[in-house]
Amino acid sequence: MSDWTPFSHIVVNLARQIRPGEIAFSGVNSTLAMLACLLAKRAYDFHFTYLNVAGGVEPEPRKVPHSSSDPALVAGSPAIFGNEDFYDLCARGRLDLVFLGCAQVDGAGRTNVSVIGDWRNPKVRLPGGGGAAVMMPTAKRVVTWRTEHSTRTLVEKLDFVTAAGNLQTVVTPIAVLQKREGRLALESRNPQVTLDEIIRQTGFRFDASAAQPTAPITPRERAALETLDPQGEFAAGVRA
Amino acid sequence: MTLVAGLRAAAYGVPFQPVGGVHGSELAALNGWRKIPDPYGSGKEVYVIPAISPDIAVIHANEVDEHGNARVLGSPFWDHPLTRAARRVLVTAERLVSSQALAAQPELTLVPGFMVEAAAVVPRGAWPGSMHPLYEVDYPAVEAYLRDEDGALEAHLASAPETRA
Repeated sequence: MSDWTPFSHIVVNLARQIRPGEIAFSGVNSTLAMLACLLAKRAYDFHFTYLNVAGGVEPEPRKVPHSSSDPALVAGSPAIFGNEDFYDLCARGRLDLVFLGCAQVDGAGRTNVSVIGDWRNPKVRLPGGGGAAVMMPTAKRVVTWRTEHSTRTLVEKLDFVTAAGNLQTVVTPIAVLQKREGRLALESRNPQVTLDEIIRQTGFRFDASAAQPTAPITPRERAALETLDPQGEFAAGVRA
Repeated sequence: MTLVAGLRAAAYGVPFQPVGGVHGSELAALNGWRKIPDPYGSGKEVYVIPAISPDIAVIHANEVDEHGNARVLGSPFWDHPLTRAARRVLVTAERLVSSQALAAQPELTLVPGFMVEAAAVVPRGAWPGSMHPLYEVDYPAVEAYLRDEDGALEAHLASAPETRA
């Protein structure tokens, strides 16, 4: 029996991408990635450096803000490492792990954050990549996520290529995909869904030969998630 | 970051600014960004972003003195390159302070008065945004003006702090 929720499957599996000693960064409009970094700080014993778009360095926010760019993410920070600084850090190859959101991702791990439909006559004009085009090729590893795992989010062909480069991982409510030899492959699946369901809900073909059920949430991961979202407000934002 | 590269070019007084990354992005073709080889022979190709020089930059500061020297506390976001790239700089600030008070810690002054054309004292002027360390984001106000209904934006503008002089 597995008791993953769409919310916990995303946040915990994002947190699991962080490795000891790394410098990890979460950006704007990235609440789930922010929660993952804060969760890793509470649930794992190893040290990593957490930077965020508000300019925080190892922040200790008194409360978890709704926005991942809220100045609350500077609270307790011994330094301000602002926009220019963290982009430059990334460009010179010193950011180990960057969480970057997307609207669409393709099987090669490229992302679209710009537009749905044609650029000049769009169906939906998206907010744009922020620094994605600069960070994706220069960060050592990039991790993205989608709250909706479907053929319109995990696509064969992007409507627009905003960013390409070192995307390594995609996390959704039902799956964790890792790039192997230039293509996203299924690493693990939420045990509540079958491999066939994931294939049906994914727009690109992927290798599933090494796929395992996602390892169960640990007591420490669960406890950390409860301290970060005691009222279930963040979880309510991620529907099945 | 490409935007900052453009601002940096203007601030440095050069026509373009090299920037890391962008490789593989369709934004390059869309915006007409060019890629040039390293003239010093590393073999690397680097995107160069044309200068962006805003006519006017407006920033909100914590404190300003009567000469326009402006102090920003907390994260400065883009204030530094923006004020250096713009042709004219306007400042709004939470409060007016003495020049002596700023001179006591000059490193906290983000933009010196000689660069500032005009300043206004506007308490809570960042609303519904935040101003460290004075107030936080007013999320209910943001949600209210985003509502897709007649009068939502007008009601928001009518409740702005500067309307209550």
